[in-house]
Amino acid sequence: MYPVTITPSLLSDLVSVASARGAGYADARTVEREYELVSVKDGAVEGVTRSADRGIGFRVLHRGAWGFASTDRSGEAALRGLVDEAFRRADASATVHRREVKLAPVSPQRGEYRTKLRRDPFEVPLAERIDHLRAVDAASIGPNVKTRRSSIAAYRTRKHLVTSEGTDVSQEIIESGAGLSVLAVKAGAKPAQRYDSRLVRQAGWEFVEHLDLVARAKRYRGDAEATLDAPLATAKPTTLVFTPEFLALLVHESCGHPTEADRLLEYEVAFAGTTFMWPNARGTLRYGSRHVSMTADATIPGGMGTFGWDDDGVPAMRTKLVDKGIFVGYLTSRETAAELGLPVAIGSARAEGWQHFPIVRMVNVSLDPGDVRYTELLGGVESGLLLEAPASYSLDDKRQNFHFSTQSARVIRNGALEGYVRGVAFQSLTPDFWGRCDSVADDWELHGFLSCAKGEPLQLMRVGHGAAHARFRDVPIEVQP
Amino acid sequence: MILRGPDELLSPLREALRDAPADEADIHLHRRRAAITRYSHSSIHQNALSDETHVRVRAIVGRAVGVVESNSLAVTDLRRSLAGAAELARASRPDDGWPGLADPETVTKPHAFDEATATAGAADQAAAIAHICRGLRSGMRAAGTSQHELTEDAVANTRGVALYARGSLAYLRALVQSDVGSGYAEDLAWRAGELDPAGVAARAVEKCALDRDRSELAPGDYEAVFEELAVAEILRIVSLTGLGGQSVKEGRSFMTGRIGEKVTGEAFTLVEDALDPRTLAIPFDVEGTPKRRVTLVERGVAKGPVYDRTSAKAMGTRSTGHAADPSRYATGGHAANLTMAGGAASRDELVRAVCRGILITRFHYTNTPDPRAATMTGTTRDGTFLIEDGKITRALANVRYTMSALELFAGIELLGAQRLARDWWSSNGMGSVVCVVPPMKVRRATITGSSPR
Repeated sequence: MYPVTITPSLLSDLVSVASARGAGYADARTVEREYELVSVKDGAVEGVTRSADRGIGFRVLHRGAWGFASTDRSGEAALRGLVDEAFRRADASATVHRREVKLAPVSPQRGEYRTKLRRDPFEVPLAERIDHLRAVDAASIGPNVKTRRSSIAAYRTRKHLVTSEGTDVSQEIIESGAGLSVLAVKAGAKPAQRYDSRLVRQAGWEFVEHLDLVARAKRYRGDAEATLDAPLATAKPTTLVFTPEFLALLVHESCGHPTEADRLLEYEVAFAGTTFMWPNARGTLRYGSRHVSMTADATIPGGMGTFGWDDDGVPAMRTKLVDKGIFVGYLTSRETAAELGLPVAIGSARAEGWQHFPIVRMVNVSLDPGDVRYTELLGGVESGLLLEAPASYSLDDKRQNFHFSTQSARVIRNGALEGYVRGVAFQSLTPDFWGRCDSVADDWELHGFLSCAKGEPLQLMRVGHGAAHARFRDVPIEVQP
Repeated sequence: MILRGPDELLSPLREALRDAPADEADIHLHRRRAAITRYSHSSIHQNALSDETHVRVRAIVGRAVGVVESNSLAVTDLRRSLAGAAELARASRPDDGWPGLADPETVTKPHAFDEATATAGAADQAAAIAHICRGLRSGMRAAGTSQHELTEDAVANTRGVALYARGSLAYLRALVQSDVGSGYAEDLAWRAGELDPAGVAARAVEKCALDRDRSELAPGDYEAVFEELAVAEILRIVSLTGLGGQSVKEGRSFMTGRIGEKVTGEAFTLVEDALDPRTLAIPFDVEGTPKRRVTLVERGVAKGPVYDRTSAKAMGTRSTGHAADPSRYATGGHAANLTMAGGAASRDELVRAVCRGILITRFHYTNTPDPRAATMTGTTRDGTFLIEDGKITRALANVRYTMSALELFAGIELLGAQRLARDWWSSNGMGSVVCVVPPMKVRRATITGSSPR
């Protein structure tokens, strides 16, 4: 079902042509993507979709500047056009260019990477997936539940990268995931929605079973129904405990993005923005309290940001970004590492698909676990709130000023959960917020995002985030009626 | 991208559909060539071209629907997709809400395509960027994007629908920075010839020069001038939260239970109009239904949402032609071409009308903490200024704005001339809302916080 025919030598042939035409560097990358999605709405099958595409991305450094072209055709004319266009673009770039692009060194890489899984999600019969979702749907039914949605998805990506420096690596990544949404509506009350679209892991069908979607659906239904009738929270500085699920997004937005090296080099300034974590603050900027350490790690089994090599051909590795509250590291590509004078790239150059130029992206960026039990952490709260899942979120262009609201907020009284409140939101400045963290639990767990959006054209990237429950003191909260 | 034209694109679709192994079937095909040149520090750092094809096949067996997507136009592959979709449909369950496929109707001729834009190349894009960089003052640097895009869309089904449209897009943005501030400007059109690099540079430079010695603004309610990009951001939130038939049906829209009622001020009129010759659009949707002009809010009164075929059936009406690609957008109707009524006030007149308030150039990363009220929160960027006694008096640190769009529009006091603009999200393709939109002066905008200077 593909227009592109991949011959064994296609990529090396393209790279050889580029080198013969004077490219200082070239790489060619095929990407083949498949996914299957089954969704159920209010008891009925809403959609059954199977998708596949394949194409070639081709990147050259010529006259010191980048040119990139991509195609989903593989005829001789299309491939000739691909090469010509990449060089045309590099040469056009060179006319408005300050300095020659340099790349941090990486030794030639060879090998294969494959996701370890127990049951291929594509092999699970459709009827089994539908039956699974119908059971989930049934568990979502409640007296005020107006709309119920659930879905199961399977993803497969095969990539092959060949570079003019001798790298030749192949990868097959398989991911499984689910989505769940419960909307409760009642006359005279504000609608309450509990949902999650980040239940995804680099794994097989076993991850869908691990999610226990039926139990989760019951919990979401309970949260939504209870929030409908819940009293408004009180706007005042409050002790907040966040679930790992909520913190995964906070880490993503307030640590992952501002440590992307292309943001500090202003490559993204006109759209995604920059950062407040500048190179001269590295090693000295107090990002958070001593309880806060964060790590980028592309080697975590099952992570959505786990791989063998990034799209520069740099092997997966682990890097500290925040150490005991101090900002210490960046996410880098070969180009941005060289521009910053760093000796090695940490392997964060990633492209969504064959049609995309690799840019700096997160891998698995996580809040490191603490050493107290969750019950102990909760026990230290006389009066506070447990925020279970994010709803709306908005960040400024430096990732410094942020605003989050929550789907579900539980009241904590003397270390125990009792009832719900609604309307909770908070805005803060990143170092101030993380500076209020006084405890991180040891119940670290991994979460996955399918669609971190960045770049022009838009690239949606898979990333992973680990976190544990954590406690923050005296966070001023807003209340939205 | 070599344009293939209606015959070359529709012929394989018709041929594959002729013996579709299903009760009904349709195919939507989208081809896109996007040439994007990005620059920073007055230097091009990324220069990429993608040329891609998306084919979405739906097969219906009974009332069950199967979908297969691929990127091949070959008849054999299309047939394989149809067979796969039919197999999925048979393994699926009936959809009681299935509305059936679209019947053939007359469709307005597409307007938004320009041959010169189609033939422009990488050198033309670099030249526009060079033009901007030449317009900078000492100590300033520029960053931004030049985008040229061509599209071809075709829809065909077993009921005889066979539609084709081509489109073009040209976009140029400049963020000009000094060591202490920034200014922003952009042009958007479907003709590259309408972009004005010198004008974009001049507008961004002027704002950057003003953006120094920033103050922090205390939270509170202020009079405000929203420039076009800022208004487009508000309209995006209104569209995503409240203008689709499905959101009205599910009780998530500000229109739910309020159609025919006054929901905002009389100065606010909003229509969905893909046929407006100024906008970027094709005249039919992914289901093959002609796009209709839909009055959404008229002089502050909610008139009704847009529909796709499924939400229209559920609400007992007919589709307005606003089905969107479900792999990217929520189903149930997507209002993507908004035209907001404008006025005659110049920018100076808008500013002169403010006693004490703020000027907002654009927003960054907005979201909605209260969708039912179309509430938006977001921080400003690249040109936020204090206005006192009708004059811009100082630059402000970026502020966080949080307010219901309906309350904001209820306070419209003056409107300027409309122009084509996209919100922040839509400017890189994350959203798909394009607006013909005026700047406006409002009585009250709620500021809830400030970023550091």
